[in-house]
Amino acid sequence: MDEVKIKNIADLEQIKEAYDEKTASCRYQVLVCSGAGCVSSNCGQVRDAVNDELHNLGIQDQTLLWETGCMGTCAAGPVMLILPERIFYTKLTPETARQVIKAHLVDGKILTEHTFYDYSLEQHVPKIDDIDFFKEQVRIALRNCGIIEYDSLDAYVSKNGYLAAAKAFTQKSPQEVIDEVKRSGMRGRGGAGFPTGVKWQAGHDAAGERKFIACNADEGDPGAFMDRSILEGDPHTVIEGMMIGGYAIGANMGYVYVRAEYPIAIDRLTKAIEDARRRGVLGENLFGSGFGFDLDIRIGAGAFVCGEETALMASIEGCRGEPRQKPPFPFQSGLFQSPTIINNVETFASIPEILLKGGDWYAGFGTEKSKGTKVFALAGDVVNTGIIEVPIGKPLGDILFNIGGGMRDKKKFKAAQIGGPSGGCVTRDNLNTPTDYESLQKLGAIMGSGGLIAMNEDACMVDTARFFMDFIRDESCGKCAACRIGTTRMLEILERITQSEGEEGDIELLEELGEAIRDTAMCGLGQTAPNPVLSTIRYFRDEYEEHIRDKYCQASVCASLFISPCENTCPANINVPGYIRLIAAGRFIDAYNLIRQENPFPAVCGRICTHPCEDKCRRRTLDEAIAICELKRFAADYAYKNEKPYAQDVVFPRNGKRIAIVGGGTSGLTCGYYLVRIGYDVDVFESEPVAGGVLAFGIPEYRLPKKVLQHEIDLIARAGVNIHLNTEVGKDITFKALQSQYDAIYVATGTQFPEKVNIPGENLAGVIHGINFLKSVNLNQHVDIGKTVAIIGGGNTAVDSARTAIRLGAKKVIILYRRTRDAMPAYAQEVQAAIEEGVELVELVAPVRFIGGRGGRVKGIECQRMQLGDFDKNGRRKAVTIENSNFFIDVDSVIPAVSQYSDLPFIKKSEIGVTPWGTFIIDDKTMMTTMKGVFAGGDVARGPDTVIRAIADGKQAAISIDKYLGGKGKMNKGAPIEMPDNFSDDEFVEHNRFAIDELDPDKRKNSFDEVDLGYHKIRAMAEAMRCLQCDRR
Amino acid sequence: MSGKNCRCMCQENDDKHPFAQLDPVIDLYKDKEGSLIQILHIAQELYGHLSLELQEHIAGRLNKPLSEISGVVTFYSFFSTKPRGEHVIRVCLGTACYVRGGRKIVEALQKTLDVDIGETTEDGKFTFEVARCIGACGLAPAMMIDNVVYKQVNINKLDSILSRY
Repeated sequence: MDEVKIKNIADLEQIKEAYDEKTASCRYQVLVCSGAGCVSSNCGQVRDAVNDELHNLGIQDQTLLWETGCMGTCAAGPVMLILPERIFYTKLTPETARQVIKAHLVDGKILTEHTFYDYSLEQHVPKIDDIDFFKEQVRIALRNCGIIEYDSLDAYVSKNGYLAAAKAFTQKSPQEVIDEVKRSGMRGRGGAGFPTGVKWQAGHDAAGERKFIACNADEGDPGAFMDRSILEGDPHTVIEGMMIGGYAIGANMGYVYVRAEYPIAIDRLTKAIEDARRRGVLGENLFGSGFGFDLDIRIGAGAFVCGEETALMASIEGCRGEPRQKPPFPFQSGLFQSPTIINNVETFASIPEILLKGGDWYAGFGTEKSKGTKVFALAGDVVNTGIIEVPIGKPLGDILFNIGGGMRDKKKFKAAQIGGPSGGCVTRDNLNTPTDYESLQKLGAIMGSGGLIAMNEDACMVDTARFFMDFIRDESCGKCAACRIGTTRMLEILERITQSEGEEGDIELLEELGEAIRDTAMCGLGQTAPNPVLSTIRYFRDEYEEHIRDKYCQASVCASLFISPCENTCPANINVPGYIRLIAAGRFIDAYNLIRQENPFPAVCGRICTHPCEDKCRRRTLDEAIAICELKRFAADYAYKNEKPYAQDVVFPRNGKRIAIVGGGTSGLTCGYYLVRIGYDVDVFESEPVAGGVLAFGIPEYRLPKKVLQHEIDLIARAGVNIHLNTEVGKDITFKALQSQYDAIYVATGTQFPEKVNIPGENLAGVIHGINFLKSVNLNQHVDIGKTVAIIGGGNTAVDSARTAIRLGAKKVIILYRRTRDAMPAYAQEVQAAIEEGVELVELVAPVRFIGGRGGRVKGIECQRMQLGDFDKNGRRKAVTIENSNFFIDVDSVIPAVSQYSDLPFIKKSEIGVTPWGTFIIDDKTMMTTMKGVFAGGDVARGPDTVIRAIADGKQAAISIDKYLGGKGKMNKGAPIEMPDNFSDDEFVEHNRFAIDELDPDKRKNSFDEVDLGYHKIRAMAEAMRCLQCDRR
Repeated sequence: MSGKNCRCMCQENDDKHPFAQLDPVIDLYKDKEGSLIQILHIAQELYGHLSLELQEHIAGRLNKPLSEISGVVTFYSFFSTKPRGEHVIRVCLGTACYVRGGRKIVEALQKTLDVDIGETTEDGKFTFEVARCIGACGLAPAMMIDNVVYKQVNINKLDSILSRY
């Protein structure tokens, strides 16, 4: 097409018509994304393959092939959009791109397997307008990105490009332009949020022989890539925005300051400027208005501080990028001592639309004080990382979960960093916060440039603060002492803390330093430098304290503070890499003994532990986590079969002191075991006829055979613990008697009582609460389950009850849960196993009442449907009732399993500190209750929690009790076990976890046989050899 | 603003006028306000680094004090006053790599190449740097030479990797 020189609005219209005609003449348009992310993913090869395929198929003349700017889904690249059907293809390779082209353009078929995959919905969504990621966006600054050819001025004009400028220059006065911008409520999008209209007014009113307008495209924040996407996808909108700004303030010359790290943006903008000059939209007498404007690019040279406006101007002038005092402000004296107005790329990109559609239109988006839309760069641990634009004020949770697709790998959200190194973090309990300037400031964060980094539970907030401070100290220009010295000192403290040298008082020192720097630094870099530190201290002070006092990093990031992530995460600190190494070396009994140094229930834990260690296993980043739990079971089972029948734990000589333990469950038995080994006499009082607590009553046989449990309890008894069954404290022996006869008492009675659902009909026959149901079954008592059973709840007790009901012969078993499957607290594998066995899961439903029938037995449930609403304090969406959605289901039995509580009938509440929800108040360190000499742990102190936590508590209580009675708190771990040195220098080969055999679902649902069949010796050793041995340095 | 990629002194320069190739560039930009940084970018493209002699030359031709040129060169991280090697080695010391022996690799390279972090070998082949995290945590310990990522680097295999260059 011949190049039309643009002299007036009519020329623009002519170009637009011709371009639209050409577009309409082609049956298909194929848009290949050429944003920076896709470029790195080799979209060039994809584009070449598409071009080649079009020629092969002979349809290149009927198809438009466009390279566009960033479409936004950077994690799914290379991507391609095909019009007119608007089908969005992702993760393309040259081969799959060819297949897609042939299928779509020739065969008329859509290959859905290559379209966008929504991980929350677990399905492909081919049409771009149906995809949640796009549905919730309002693209104004990004209006052309991903839609037009990034290097075609005609394409830009076809979308009304340069029309706003032409109309402004020929039909409006500068003041009218400024008034329109004021009406829009636009605030600077670089981070400070200063009202743009007010800024332009100041520029307009300033006196000066010449004036300048500048665009800040330095974008130095780590995690921010919005501005580059605009420059690379729609450079002309920035040019047009700047010329309109120039017109408004009276500047004929503009500078775009682009950081040197963006060569693609520099190239594309340079070409756009050259095209604009050649076609007459840059230069003299634009659109016949008499107003002339030109643009120059200035490249940075790797200095973050040059994003600060005075430093930026110094850099444009070819000087050191050092900020200076304000006043004078740039609009008074800026570039080359002339009035200068500086705005961010995103601000300029929105200006043409604001002028075309009117300020009032733009002000229709956003909140009262923060109008319009904002571009965010979503990065970090979310599924859909990329570029988005949403109305200001959208709740953070909506951005992260609806658009961002939630956290990757189903990890839990921990915090989001907004505003980069100048910003702060927003936590789980603030997910409903609207993302507008004021609300974020109240939380101690800032809107910033738009970088939004999501962090999951594997992030250490102290290390994150250290990372940002390291960056800032590196980038500090050095001019003012506050920043130059202050950031260095703050960094030193943070580094000490993350390297296990934190000291008492460090947190207070960081706060004091931070406030001093904030108040005295000369420029924005220094003034905001302490923000990430102060913000993380505000919301995660306990993490700082753990690093300093306990030398503990809960996220297993600060390597100096732990041996390996698995050992660090285990509440009982089992030497995981040690026992795995022993298994790999074939020394299974030694592995078993190593585990028992920290945990007397290896066979139990090897079957039912929640294994938080596996979630942190570093092997996950390669292929799959090591099967740490399964290997523990293997070692324990091997020892059970092969150990000498009378193997005995070494026990210290008696020291004459006596300890009473109330409750013969996991925690009580663990405490007793460790105490007996260092010489105490221990009496455990258990009210039931069988010891084990939850292990014996709450966990079904098919998960934990009672024989296995009894063996480990027998070993504990054999070590010397006296277990008195059928003895209830408060009935068979008083608590006062214990206090007088024993030197210390450990209470570990668990949470035995089921919470009520509290709806009518809960007392009907046939309604039996989960833990009571499971206990009856485990005690071999008869339970009349009927044919149709409904379970209420989503935790492990609910799922255990469901799978037990199936095995008892119920024909139909359904679980009614208030939220969705991914929010269920039960282990995912258990839920999966239940569904495989035929249990039906009904999501988003809550019971309203149980309906009684003949003989006072339940015959049905009235239910209500739920939907997901705002986020609660734990970062899960609350379930909200849907009015008038009631419906009925017929059932013979109902098993409510909605949490448990503890009750302590043997101690008067007035004598001992108890929390509002019935658990003991205990000292964090010593685990002593408010009653001297009485300690508590496990569920009775924590509420319903895990078995491994109860074991850790029991062990800790033993240490505390020993110290309380004058001992050193040192446990008897038996003879030291020599570690093999079998580290292989060979390169690692990717290999998924060695498979674990299970009983077939159809067979296993009719019996209580153990479902998980464990490892064979060969597989166990092979699996153990996959361990990366992170404890080696 | 892309100049030539060569790092050696080109034919147009000679012993008497070692920076002759740069002079037309300086003259072109001389009268444009604030163009020093552009000139320095091109100079570094042409000559690989901004030696003191080169800075003196530019200062002279622009009629500015050497201190001003030098002040700008030392402020910005893109500009290097020391020669850069042909290849840049970046050993990752992010957490995952650090735990998996990244530091041992750094020590081994320091010994083998006889360089410190941030420096270039005598023969000008390698510049040795440390990276914060290159994002290849599953491949720890990781190392980059120019744009190629080497995964699970074994100290014993370092020699064979380096010999490829």
